[in-house]
Amino acid sequence: MTDGNRSGFSAVSRSIITIIVALLASLFLLFIVAPVLGLVSSGGARGLASLATDHELRASLWLTAATATIATILGMIGGTPLAYLLARRPFRGRAVVAALMDLPLVIPHPVAGIALLLVLGRASPIGGVLYQAGMRVAGSSTGIVCAMLFVSAPLYVSAAREAFARVDARYESVARTLGDDAWRAFRRVTLPLSARGLTAAAVVMWARAISEFGAIVILTYNPKVVSVLSYDRFTSYGMTEALPVAAVLVLFALIPLAALRALRAGGPYPSR
Amino acid sequence: MISLQNVSARAGRFELTDITFDVPQGTYGVVIGPAGSGKTTLLETIAGVIRATAGRVLLGGEDLTSAPPERRRLGIVYQHAYLFPHLSVRQNVQYGAASTSDAEEVSSRFGVDALADRSVESLSGGERQLVAIARALAHRPEVLLLDEPFSALDPRTRNIVRRVLRTIYFERRFTVLQVTHDFSEAGLLGDVAIMLDRGRVVQKGDPEEVFRKPASPYIADFLGAENVFAGIAQPIRAEAPDWLAGHEDQFTQYAVAFTTGALTFYALGDVVPGSTHAVIRAEEVSLSVEPSMSSVQNQFRGKIVEIVPGGALSRVTIDASGTPIVAAVTARSVRELGLAVGAEVVAGFKATAVHLC
Repeated sequence: MTDGNRSGFSAVSRSIITIIVALLASLFLLFIVAPVLGLVSSGGARGLASLATDHELRASLWLTAATATIATILGMIGGTPLAYLLARRPFRGRAVVAALMDLPLVIPHPVAGIALLLVLGRASPIGGVLYQAGMRVAGSSTGIVCAMLFVSAPLYVSAAREAFARVDARYESVARTLGDDAWRAFRRVTLPLSARGLTAAAVVMWARAISEFGAIVILTYNPKVVSVLSYDRFTSYGMTEALPVAAVLVLFALIPLAALRALRAGGPYPSR
Repeated sequence: MISLQNVSARAGRFELTDITFDVPQGTYGVVIGPAGSGKTTLLETIAGVIRATAGRVLLGGEDLTSAPPERRRLGIVYQHAYLFPHLSVRQNVQYGAASTSDAEEVSSRFGVDALADRSVESLSGGERQLVAIARALAHRPEVLLLDEPFSALDPRTRNIVRRVLRTIYFERRFTVLQVTHDFSEAGLLGDVAIMLDRGRVVQKGDPEEVFRKPASPYIADFLGAENVFAGIAQPIRAEAPDWLAGHEDQFTQYAVAFTTGALTFYALGDVVPGSTHAVIRAEEVSLSVEPSMSSVQNQFRGKIVEIVPGGALSRVTIDASGTPIVAAVTARSVRELGLAVGAEVVAGFKATAVHLC
């Protein structure tokens, strides 16, 4: 009895199923790729050319890269210990902490912007104190960093947690029995073994940060990051002016995507 | 010295309960138990990787129950080596080494100096295990914990690793605790055997003693005793029977008649009369064509139902009035006695070979 007969499908039925699956997959892929390709083909060349002449676009691109980088660094500083704790240490309320970290992923980003404005705006107690100390959050690049950090840090924590979980805890146990204290074992063993995963997590966070719009536009319309600039050009001047900016943002986003593919191609260390 | 006093520990849902044993300074202890009995959890509790929830862990006489692993002056070698994959062989051995010369010395002793610059990912299973043991020993531990270190190795490599480890052990005389599911390891290596089952110590003592006198039919079965019989034990009489003549001083136990199925045989034991088990190692059962006139007290005629060749010894099963008795005899004896399936033989064993539990 053949496999096909055993599962109740003839060879013809299997061919039809394969064709249907391939067709659905192709349609889905087209749905994802077509708008992006359309955008890049329509405005990509003009966008790259305008980089030489459009001062506002250049400044916006630089602001986006700089704020996303700062947000990512802050995310790594705060998120790495949290990810390690979530991956390694069983503690009461761990599931609650993990769920709280996922909260920014499920709330609409403009709502996240409103929430941040409520907490960090000049009228809020925290925002008031920061303002008195000379640090304006809303309407500044600090606000952009805060918005980027809020919406994209959960992605870093989640990916970093997985990166730590992939490293067998027994490597650390062996290092501890060889004389390392907990911090030294982390630094000499766990960190190098999870470095590739942590870098990938940071790249994901950075990629998410540069594409953020909803929370930023509420907290800081000016100065404009590229996503806000493309929206601004669209609402002020229409599609023709928005296209090059949007296309540049897409091309910009390809950088972390390529980095991520390269990191994943390296593969993780073996589990033991 | 390793001393555990009423230690309990938890790893996920698994629990070690009330573990108490001593492995004296400079001796080789072996923990034996089936998969899932808690052997690795036990080692990790001693190492401080898992915190004891109750009891005391003493190493070298010092109470280190709450001490972190790095303060316990021990080394651990897991079954899967856990070599640091981002470091070379040399860097692995030097990791935590007491000195560079210590690392070089053990590398040379274990023959891993030739692999020094290689990536650990390019090593064979045997080489990985050698490097893992060298790494642990370069740290000059006072206690070495071995988690089935030989089980993944082929027989030749296993013998080499075992021999080198034994040589260094005899030189340095650190305390070793090795876990294994293979009793032959315990017999080969151990001064102290600790039998673990479902998170509890079920028997401990001299390996030979554990092997010969398992505390329960379960242990006997796990240790590979082929003849484990359930039956009824009855003391024969208060005074020593005549077949004990000349051996009375060796035995403080009662002479017992043990009945299993249609067989009744003599044994020695201090069990209370009633249901119990008798264990007889196949190596203790001899076969002859005619009843022997020697000091063998238990002799039963039966038909051979199976002969399983197995290297130097063959396992011959005799059906004695419905009770199967397994004898381990040399291939030479099989030939000389003309043993074959269906042939009638006499199986004999001494009363002292019967262990009641």
